Amino acid sequence: MNDLATLKSDMEGCSRCSHCKWVPMAQIKSWRFAKICPSVDRYNFHAYSGGGKLIASNSILEGRSEVTDPVMEIVYRCQLCGACQVSCQAYRDDIDLADVLLALRAKCVTEGYVLPEHLLMIESMKKEDNTLGLLKADRGVWAKDLDLIDINTQKVEVLFHAGCRYSYDEDLRSSVRNWVRLFRNAGVDLGAAGPEESCCGGRAFEMGYQGEMKNFAEDMIGRIKASGAKLLVTPCSDCYYTFKYLYPKNGMDAGLRVLHAVEYADLLIKQGRLKLGKCASLRVTYHDPCHLGRRGEIYKMGWNGVNKLHRPVRFKQMGNLGIFDPPRNVIRSIPGLDLVEMERIREYSWCCGAGGGVLEAFPDFADWTARDRIEEARAAGAEAIVTACPWCERVFKDAIAAGGDPMKVYDVIDLITMSWGG
Amino acid sequence: MAKKEDLARIVGPERVVTEEDALIAYSFDSSFVKGERPECIVKPRGLDEIQRLVKLANDQGFALVPCSSHGPHSRGDTVPTASGSVIVDLSEMKAILRVDQRNKVAMIDPGVTFAELQTEVEKQGLRIEMPLLPRKTKSVVGSLLEREPTTGPKYNWDAIDPLCCLELVFGTGDLFRTGNAAGPGSLEEQWASGQAQKMPMGPAQTDIARLIQGAQGSLGIVTWATIKLELMPALSKGFFVAGQTLDELIAFTYQILWRKFPDTCLILNNVNLAAIAGLDPKDLPPWTLLYSLSGLTHLPEERLTYMEQDLAEIAGEFKVTPRRNLAGVAADRMVDLASRPSEEPYWKFRKRGACQDVFFLTTLDRTPEFIQAMDGLTREFGLTRENLGVYLQPIRHGTGCHLEFNLMYNPNRPEDSARLPALFERASRACLDLGGFFSRPYGLWSELAYAKCPDTVMALRKVKNIFDPRGVMNPGKLCFKKEA
Amino acid sequence: MKLLPKDVYRELADALGEENISQEPAVLDGYAWQPAMNLTNQKWIPRPAAVILPATTEEVQTIVRICNQRQVKFKAHSTGWAAWGGPSQEGELQIDLRRMNRILELDEKNKFAVVEPYVCCGQLQSEAMKKGLTCHIIGAGPNTSALASATSAWGYGGTGLSTGYSGRNVLGVEWVLPDGEVLQLGSPGSHAGWFSGDGPGPGLRGIMRGFSGTQGSLGVFTKCAVKLFPWYGPPQPRVEGILLDVETDVPETEKMFFVVAPSFKKYADISYEIGNAEIAYWFCRSPLNAGVDLFMPRAGDRLFESKPLRALLKAFQHLGVALLSSPSKREVEYQEKVLRKITVEHGCILLDLSKAPGYGFWWWLMGVRSIPTALTFRAGGDFLTSYGSPVEYDNAIRQAEVAQECKQKYIDQGYFKDDMSDIGWGGIYEGTANWGHCETAAMFDRRDGQAEGRFKYLEDSARTTIEHTLGLGLSNLPPGAWKVYGPQLHNYHLWEARIKKAFDPNSVGDEQWYVPSIDEIEPKESSSDEQ
Repeated sequence: MNDLATLKSDMEGCSRCSHCKWVPMAQIKSWRFAKICPSVDRYNFHAYSGGGKLIASNSILEGRSEVTDPVMEIVYRCQLCGACQVSCQAYRDDIDLADVLLALRAKCVTEGYVLPEHLLMIESMKKEDNTLGLLKADRGVWAKDLDLIDINTQKVEVLFHAGCRYSYDEDLRSSVRNWVRLFRNAGVDLGAAGPEESCCGGRAFEMGYQGEMKNFAEDMIGRIKASGAKLLVTPCSDCYYTFKYLYPKNGMDAGLRVLHAVEYADLLIKQGRLKLGKCASLRVTYHDPCHLGRRGEIYKMGWNGVNKLHRPVRFKQMGNLGIFDPPRNVIRSIPGLDLVEMERIREYSWCCGAGGGVLEAFPDFADWTARDRIEEARAAGAEAIVTACPWCERVFKDAIAAGGDPMKVYDVIDLITMSWGG
Repeated sequence: MAKKEDLARIVGPERVVTEEDALIAYSFDSSFVKGERPECIVKPRGLDEIQRLVKLANDQGFALVPCSSHGPHSRGDTVPTASGSVIVDLSEMKAILRVDQRNKVAMIDPGVTFAELQTEVEKQGLRIEMPLLPRKTKSVVGSLLEREPTTGPKYNWDAIDPLCCLELVFGTGDLFRTGNAAGPGSLEEQWASGQAQKMPMGPAQTDIARLIQGAQGSLGIVTWATIKLELMPALSKGFFVAGQTLDELIAFTYQILWRKFPDTCLILNNVNLAAIAGLDPKDLPPWTLLYSLSGLTHLPEERLTYMEQDLAEIAGEFKVTPRRNLAGVAADRMVDLASRPSEEPYWKFRKRGACQDVFFLTTLDRTPEFIQAMDGLTREFGLTRENLGVYLQPIRHGTGCHLEFNLMYNPNRPEDSARLPALFERASRACLDLGGFFSRPYGLWSELAYAKCPDTVMALRKVKNIFDPRGVMNPGKLCFKKEA
Repeated sequence: MKLLPKDVYRELADALGEENISQEPAVLDGYAWQPAMNLTNQKWIPRPAAVILPATTEEVQTIVRICNQRQVKFKAHSTGWAAWGGPSQEGELQIDLRRMNRILELDEKNKFAVVEPYVCCGQLQSEAMKKGLTCHIIGAGPNTSALASATSAWGYGGTGLSTGYSGRNVLGVEWVLPDGEVLQLGSPGSHAGWFSGDGPGPGLRGIMRGFSGTQGSLGVFTKCAVKLFPWYGPPQPRVEGILLDVETDVPETEKMFFVVAPSFKKYADISYEIGNAEIAYWFCRSPLNAGVDLFMPRAGDRLFESKPLRALLKAFQHLGVALLSSPSKREVEYQEKVLRKITVEHGCILLDLSKAPGYGFWWWLMGVRSIPTALTFRAGGDFLTSYGSPVEYDNAIRQAEVAQECKQKYIDQGYFKDDMSDIGWGGIYEGTANWGHCETAAMFDRRDGQAEGRFKYLEDSARTTIEHTLGLGLSNLPPGAWKVYGPQLHNYHLWEARIKKAFDPNSVGDEQWYVPSIDEIEPKESSSDEQ
């Protein structure tokens, strides 16, 4: 966890080149989809960009300005999607932009500059162990009749962590259930915590309530250790990011391998343990969830220097080692599907709009961001946008429903299920 | 009113011309511009005299009309508008001050003609990009200051090309040098450091040469200029492409410009091609594209070979046929003709003895609209198609096109002379209405063109007020009319 | 902190909407952080009094008119890199043009595009390529505004050999003058399309800019037509990766070479020859030590400490990168043959990069999209650049030679990163023209607080350009430089100052990077004018 003051050199290193606003220059393919930062693209003032937030943070730190209501809007109207960092770090070794964004939020929260919508979420997390304000007791309902091994009482090899959104969002329930069926089909015995599963805490960290994550992490790690699991599989990209990046970055080690469900499916297909059927002919495009893609990149431990100019490149979180190919491999392995790519993909993908507490506090901005992505999918010639994150799926589905758009939205598991005739 | 003795003190009495015939000759030209008889003609020999003349004009309040070419003039820009004007005849300033072979640039006086410059630079294996068959007496500096289009769009990067740096005297009497010629360092120091006054921009954040270009002498007088030169090709081959319609040639022309193949590249209708080549228009196709390919410093034959092979493929794709001869004339001969000043009589006058030009800028793809309109108009005025020359000159790599109609007529036929002014005016208005850009607004065109851009007029008057606040430089031209 | 008078703010907010104006200090500081070209000891440049985001020419006009009525100075920027885009004093209004971001026209046949200020070169190029065209991209990179480099700033890019210089690629322009009037330069002013920027009559582009632009000191450019140039590669190449990891498929008819000359003189000679032979799409000097420093600055630190490796790199000092490009195999073969002949004749080494694995990186990033120069940020986030006047190429190379000596002194004193001094970058422009530029950047980390010593390098480099007659270079145009160089160059500053007065009668355009009105420079002249 970085205090804002420890990142002053990062802030002062900003050259104001504005690469943080654009898709990496090598990847600009059109006028229309050249922008990378939803925040500055929607609200325009430079302070909304990644670099602008570095500058604003420095300004606040130096006492040139204060956190006010408009500043809070700048801080929180940001999905923390991490695209700015990818574009910045192509050129810079000494700026960890995403760390500054997180530290700025933490400072705001510490000093009481908080949003009521975020507080509600935090309250829900504290009280009900989930981000959605629903009853903890209902958390395991999604797994009813699936006869998952109860890790609270039994040891397991593979632990399945559904995450808050999948556990409670009834629209997405079939997805999470189908993941379980899929892995079962491959002969994997899965365990789950049922109603005892709790939030990973990643959202709290992102919204600036960094201390809150610690409680969830400790709870989670304790349960994992008790279960004896060697592998944790989650279909939720947010949770994945938390396990792969936030926990280790903050010195917390769950002590087991973590795979996203699509990674695991890809692995099982490669091992020949999973065979997929044929789908009806459909042209699809894959949306890289930020938390699975660039931000899903494993935390690169091991460098403890002071001057980041001397940090070897291999320790930079450049986002290019995120999970990009496994979901595509799975889609490509389903006959009948035609996978077309959008312009902004992989580590330079455009965000769905839901992250960073934006969906809760600024739903119109989340919707605006999602619509931009849907338009990009359409421009690619896709009939459906496929993703691997319940948050992305939610915001896309809502945007499409509100706009009466013919674009379809699927989770990767939906396609697999369809290939089985489901 | 200029005091002749003061003028004589500056340039010497023998260089102040007051003979009636000479003055009358300057009071009109072959355009329809009506003017005043000048007070006298002075023939300065250099910067110092010019600067003193301009200062005198400011002090005594008389107008100066700079003129760098010998006549006959045809645009009206050197016809004085103000009474008591003094013609500043620069046509005898003929020094070719420097030719820099390595940097391919020449520094010349304003009176140097194309033929004179070409003869000199040829000795060093260089050539000047030239307008289409300029008249023999045409000054290089005068032509380029008027933005006359040159025939090689490939070498024409910007509107100012191939004009580079200028030394000039503003209407205030101040000396200025533009581009890199401004400094730092004297010209000699610059030459010693490898410079050759070729870079035209500036100095600093202003580009005075651009203001002077197109000003028709209304902002200052140029005392020398540097001119960008090109290498004389080791080998050159000319080609014709005949077209029954213009459209087929336009499509092909765009393509070869995209490939950056041709040096010379222009389109003529049969009337103009006939006039230049000495043929009968009836023996020629309606439209002809003329282009040349060149072999340069290295492996010239091989260069020509690959270009010809590639072009043959492109021609096949566009269903046109490049040919080396047309109606008994070799394309090489035409390219050669198009690279030199016109023999006498001037090519536009050969057919009927006189010609009025209507020209403007547009884009190549839009030219057929204008041509169609002009066809209709000439018919309406009883000018037969055989007397309407058309010349299309792609400029600036083909981003624009100079479109020129040559209305050829017999000045000794009263009916011709009577209808021409009206046709000229109708044609000009029609082309303007169709979106022709009269970037060089002479005579009548200045009223028509500036009526379309009041914002430009306002800005130009501010500029005029800076560089010629007392209005001594060629008053009455462009948008600098008295009533302003 | 100086804010706008409340009623002025209200008037602007009413005109453009509350969401498009701000005087929130943290927002304003977003415009006060401009380390590049901030030639002061201060970390921050003056904070604007407000920032405003127009979306149309009419809105720009409204803003400028209000500024005139209320005597508020303004500064507009497009993509907004470097201190010249920001205010020079507190109390100014910052106009951020990022909402004006459309490509209004892309004329395939006539090879030009009409763009608004916030269209970056990368966007324009990607659209142009789809039509077999490309645009000039300046060295600062494809994230820069295509309009700004054409109308307002310097404008040299690596592809200058085939795509010219931004300031000479301008066609029609729409310009909100400092007094709020709209002026359309050239053909658009006569409703005749955007294909021409000069006339009727004198070319008013001459007051818009010279070799340099006025950096936003003389109004706001709202639209601009720029020339486009033939592009012979694929409409949208397959590109994977984002920078140093880029992989792509290079067409057979695109070939790239390293040309290593034995001396400054020989490098100049081959540049002349390549221009005269009308070959190559790209030919640009890029000393190998500069490449090492850009691509692996930390490794460079180690390498440069080793004398033998320094010597080895020095052998590749006069390195030029040549890209041959054509849709035709025959043409590329011809060009390669000529290139080989030229290099042999001049005792140069020619390395065919096209045969090297990973060659696509060089082709796409360097040869086409002009990206790597932005890696100058890697050394420490900041750099100064100097020399680089556009001039006959013999002289340009002489600039690299002089710069090498001048810069080394400052490297020795620890002001700049050791990059072996000569990283003189630049090539020949405009095919056969034989003029070009060669600028020498110096990299540093501004955070170490040694600003002052570094600015002396700029002064020194400016001084040596005069001593050696090296043209008016990039180091000769910082704020106030006209005081020194104006008198040496026919008092150009006085003419600019008169233009400033005529077009900005209320002096509302921030003149820091241009000149003040003649009223301020020579008050006597203006008072006698008035009489």
